[in-house]
Order: sequence, then structure tokens, then C-alpha cells
Amino acid sequence: MAAERYSFPVDVHHSSPNGMRMNRMLRMSRRDVLLAGMGAAVVSVTAHAAEPPEASAPGVADAAQFLTLSLRLTDRETLSPAIGNALYARIVQAVPERKEQISRLHALLQQKHFESAQALAKAAEQADPVFKNVIHDIMTGWYRGVAAQKVVVYRSALMFDITKDAVYPKTYATGGPFYWTSKPPEVPLPTGEPGLSPSKFVVEPT
Amino acid sequence: MSSEQTLSADVVIVGSGVAGSSIANELARAGISVIVLEAGPRVDRQHFVENFRNLENKPSYQGPFPAVPWARHPPNQMTPNEYLHTTGPDAEAYQQVYLRMMGGTTWHWAGCAWRYLPSDFELRSRYGQGRDWALKYDDLEPFYYQAEVMMGVCGPDPAKEDLGSPRKQPYPMDALPISYAAQQFRKLISEKTPLRVVHEPQARNTRPYDNRPTCEGHNNCMPICPIGAMYNGSYSVYHAEAAGAQFVPNAVVYKIERDDANKRVTAVHYFDPDKGSHRVTGKYFVIAAHCIETAKLLLVSADDKSPDGVANSSGHVGRNMMDHTGVQVTFISGDEALWPGRGPLETNVIDNFRDGDWRSERGAYLVHMVDDNQVDLATSLAISKGYVGKELEEQIRYLASHTVRLFSHNEGLADPENRLTLSKTYKDILGIPHPEVYYKLPEYTVKSCDHTRGLFKDLIGLMHGRDEQWTPGYFPQDHPAGSTIMGVDPKDSVVDGECRTHDHENLFIASSSVFSSVGTGNITLTVAALALRVADTLKKELTHA
Repeated sequence: MAAERYSFPVDVHHSSPNGMRMNRMLRMSRRDVLLAGMGAAVVSVTAHAAEPPEASAPGVADAAQFLTLSLRLTDRETLSPAIGNALYARIVQAVPERKEQISRLHALLQQKHFESAQALAKAAEQADPVFKNVIHDIMTGWYRGVAAQKVVVYRSALMFDITKDAVYPKTYATGGPFYWTSKPPEVPLPTGEPGLSPSKFVVEPT
Repeated sequence: MSSEQTLSADVVIVGSGVAGSSIANELARAGISVIVLEAGPRVDRQHFVENFRNLENKPSYQGPFPAVPWARHPPNQMTPNEYLHTTGPDAEAYQQVYLRMMGGTTWHWAGCAWRYLPSDFELRSRYGQGRDWALKYDDLEPFYYQAEVMMGVCGPDPAKEDLGSPRKQPYPMDALPISYAAQQFRKLISEKTPLRVVHEPQARNTRPYDNRPTCEGHNNCMPICPIGAMYNGSYSVYHAEAAGAQFVPNAVVYKIERDDANKRVTAVHYFDPDKGSHRVTGKYFVIAAHCIETAKLLLVSADDKSPDGVANSSGHVGRNMMDHTGVQVTFISGDEALWPGRGPLETNVIDNFRDGDWRSERGAYLVHMVDDNQVDLATSLAISKGYVGKELEEQIRYLASHTVRLFSHNEGLADPENRLTLSKTYKDILGIPHPEVYYKLPEYTVKSCDHTRGLFKDLIGLMHGRDEQWTPGYFPQDHPAGSTIMGVDPKDSVVDGECRTHDHENLFIASSSVFSSVGTGNITLTVAALALRVADTLKKELTHA
């Protein structure tokens, strides 16, 4: 039966009504998801400004390390430092241990040349299983624009950058009436491998 | 803390959704004084758009519409729920959501504007199942058209694509051109099956209409159209206000007062958010407060004269709860990229199972292929599978372009045992009990869902699909109906064919709560048509009085 399979898309049904009994506590904690006034004010918060005084010792990760890691893990040559700062601030605010973990992951990156995101991810998970969660946070931050269940950026999330030849972020369509009747680009079946072991996927309830 | 000044109007309406606001608009334009009492607040569109953009859980269509404490609505479709408490063997199948705020639940409908089929009104006499309505399709046809004009409905030319509901007039606007994904789906169904995919009639502009713009395909009809190209109840509120109707937000009606003979309603009483009580008198009263809240209000109004609730001499207030139960599957197509999410959300339907002789055995249904942007879901999935960097980006593009979701509306059936009552456990801050619903899926609906699953399996095969995930069990489609059921016999129904309560000659109900059967099409257009028919009745009676 399909319902017993755990290949992709794992538990997609949780995005639907009856899946809502899952993960109730998490859902409750996500009730307040509005970041009113998000934007320049938050982007301008630097990692240092967000740190408590005792945390600024040498070796502790900062937003620059986060950005360096992010470039490798996205296989990209440029990323927005403003968004990086905002993501970092939110991640370490929500999960303070991430500061030290990001610093250690950055140290791993410095140890040798990793030629791809995949290579770094594999080595990282092998070195310390907690790095898998750190990398998930970084991926979720850049690609979904979300950190610790808060929207940090919406339209600027990378998932929209890489699909902009076909679809628009909801509420931001600019193709004009009936753009949707045209043929969108074909997409080949991917052959690349994951860098991390799979995780259980829980889509939040409607 | 009662108000010193009693409000009064010719017609007092409870609820400002499509039903209440469209009645108010019609009456006000005819020079009749109207007061509309809305339990929830008045909020403008841009706040909902902003809330949506800042919502992490984007598929949560209640998310952008937080309830106020004095007019709570279900926060989500979760069982157990913080507001709508469901029980019984299929409690989760009745975990409906709706909105209590100015303009009503059409803030987050998808604009699907179906007429019911003539057979939907005659389910008992044609198929020996459920109930007949106390009116026929032909009685409603002119009001269907009036509702289509009011909302601005686009749809296909019946000469090219007959949707089964006879029309005397063409749709107010041409059909919406369907997306590439829907075109391909339509082609596949046409070539490989005996079925067909039709253009869904939609309250969505295919040209500028009613001072609202043409749809630009933001793909966000649910939960909030950002530009107002899709009709919702707020537009009828604005029109009614311009015509002179008075809308009172944050006015939670809690009592329906009757005369000594218990034949006529004399006033309704409402609480403001501070629990100050106010009395509103009128000649006629219309309860248009959504299926759940309408029944709740009638029950809450119980007193010595009507110990089981107002308009409830039949004992059927709160009974016969129906819905379109859903079957849903999501899978990855093995064919070319479809890129769902270009254009409006719901535009195409397989309509072959809306009617047939088999309705004597099993319920009807229709099927949507949802045109929902899957980029966010694809991203979450690809991350959870462990992809990073370049490989993650390839996965996102592939999954976002190949994910297909099918879902159905399966016909419910009136069963008095499926019943809404007042919670004995939970009350809101005003002391008003929460609603509670016992629900057991009718066998008729279960058989319909079984048939749908078979069809979906065939369609997955046709699309060379893999990794299909079935939504477990049955889920609600937020189309509740039946709680103040219509019928000719006052002993087993609450309203007559005019939507007038059998018990109280000046009390009308305008809601899906009067439906005697629930058919398959989305309920809103029928709600609007019934409401406009109520307005027509009221105009005649008030003008001739």
C-alpha cells in the first residue's frame, strides 16, 4: 500500500486536514508567526549585536562564518549578506546551541577543501550527527526563507529564484492575465545524490 | 450594561457573509432599512495579504485570519479543536473551518461557483436517497443568474460545454483560460478515458468587472486573493453600505426574542466585546450566520417558550449535518513537467460523476486537479530527503514541476443522527457555548469515496505516477450544510421552500444550513441564490405591506 511507503513524498498527507493531529505542540508554538515590521530593522541586526556579552569569545560563530558556510552549502558564489545576517540572528536566537555548532561546522569547512555542498554535508554528518540539523536550518533558511518557524524573507527565498522561469511566489505574479496558458520549461529527472541521510518529513497542518 | 438606545430597522440580518450582505444590498437598494450584525471584526484585505506573506505554514488557510476572542472560529482542521468540537466515529471528517468576520468565509474560498444540478434538488424522488428540497431547480434558476451577475462569474458557453444546469442566460464573463497543466490533464482524460474535464465556473474576473481587476494568476485564491479579482462577501458589504445598509461589527447575537404567541420574532440581542447587551428590533429577521453558527444561535436562544431552541418545534435544528467529504492523493507524475501553480487554484473539474442512476446506491462526486504552486512543499521535501546545494536545487525544480494533487467532493446525505449541539464543556468569553458536532459518515458517502479512490488509482497509472501519498481517512471540505434543513413538512424540517422558518413567520434563514441535499458543486453560489430569493420575498412583503 502506498500509505506504508516512506520514499518521497513522505507524509505529504500531513499537509491535509487529518494529518493535523500530528505534531500538535509544534503547531501551537507556531500560532504566532507574524513578523510585523520585518525588513530593514531586522536585517540590520548583526550577529554581534544579537550576542550576549559572554558569547563573544574567540571561536564562537558569527554571521560571517554563517555566510561562508552558506555559500558552500548552496554551491553558490554569492548570497545576500543582509539575508544571511537576518537568518543567522533568528537561528541562534531560537536555538542558542546553534552558535557553537555553526562555529564548529565552519571549522570543519576550513580543515580541507570541500568541492561541493554534498561533500561537506557528508563529511559533516559523519563528524557529528548534530550537523545534519544545522545544515537543515541553513538550507531551510536560504531556500524557504524560514528560520525557526518564522518567515525571515518571503519573496527573496532561493526556492523562488530557482523556479522563476516557471512560477511566481504566491501573491506576487507579474506575468499578466492568462500567462498560465503558455508552456512552462521542461525539467529533466535529477540524478544527483543527497548529501545527508533522509529525515522524517512532517508538513504542518492546514 | 444594556444599551439605552434600541436599534431598529425593517430587516435585521445576522451575519455579513455572502448571504447576509447580498440580502442587505438588495433590500437597501429597494429603499428598505437594514441593519446587519456581524459577530467578528472588520478587517481590510491588505492585512490578510500581509499576514499570509508572513505566515510560515502557507497552506494553513485559516492562518491569515486570526479570530477575535468574542467571535472565535475554528483555528484549523485539527481534531481535537479549540472551538468546533467534533465527536463520533468520523469526527475528523467534520472538522470544518470558517471565518467570523465582516465579509464571511468567502475571504478564503477558491471562487468555485457551481449551480446545483436539477437532480440535486430531487434526490429522494429520483433516487430514493436522502431528501428532496421544498423547491425545484427552476425556482432557483433566475436567482442563480442574479447571483452570478452579483459575483461576476466566468464560465463556459453551454453550447460548447454543458455543465448540466440549464441556463437561460450566458455566464456574465467568458470562461477562464485554463493553465498549461490543466490543458495537458484535460487532453489526457479526453484521449485515454471516457471522462471529460470541464472549465470550472468561477467568481473570478476574466475581464474588469464591478470595479475589480482581471485575474492575474497570483495562485492565492485560498487564502486571500491579493487584488480582488475574485469576488468575496466584502464586496457585497461595500455595495450594501453604499446603498444605505448599516453594518455593525463585533456584534455577537446571542438571543432571538419572540412575541407572546411565539409566532413572530420581535428582536435580537447582541453582546459587544465588553459584554454590553444591545437589543435590535425589526419587522423581519434573517439569520445568515453560516451553517454552524446559525444552528448554534437558534439553540442558544432556547427559553421557556421554545425549550429546544428557536424555530425548533421539529427537533431538527442542528440535525442532518452534511458536507462534501474529500478523498485526496498527491503523487509525482512521470510525464512532462506540468508546473502546477500557474494561474488560479481551482479551474478544472472531472464532472462525469456528478449524476447518474447509481446515485440510488452511492453518492455523487466531482474531481479537482489542483493547480497549486508546489515550490514550498517541494523545497521542504527535498531538504528532508537530505539534498543540499546544486542537487537540492535540481530536486526542487523537479518536484515542483511534477507534483500532482487530485481531490474530490463526495456527496453527503442528510441523517438526523449527525447532529450539532451546544458544548456542555466549552464556552467563549461571553459565556456562549461552543458548537459540538457528532458525525458518522453515511454509507452512501463511503461508497462514493471508494469509487473515487478507484478512479484516482487509474489516473495515477495514466500519468505514470509514483510515490503516491493518500490522505488517510476522510477529510472535510468546509462545505457544511443541513443544520436547519428545508422541507414541506414542519414536523421534520426547519424552513419551508422560501427559507422561512415553519415556526416564526417573520424569521428567515439564508445559509447552506437550509440545504436538503448537498450535491457535489461548491455550495456558495447556491447559498447566494437562496439569499437573493429571500431578499426577493422580503421586498415583496415589505413593499406590499
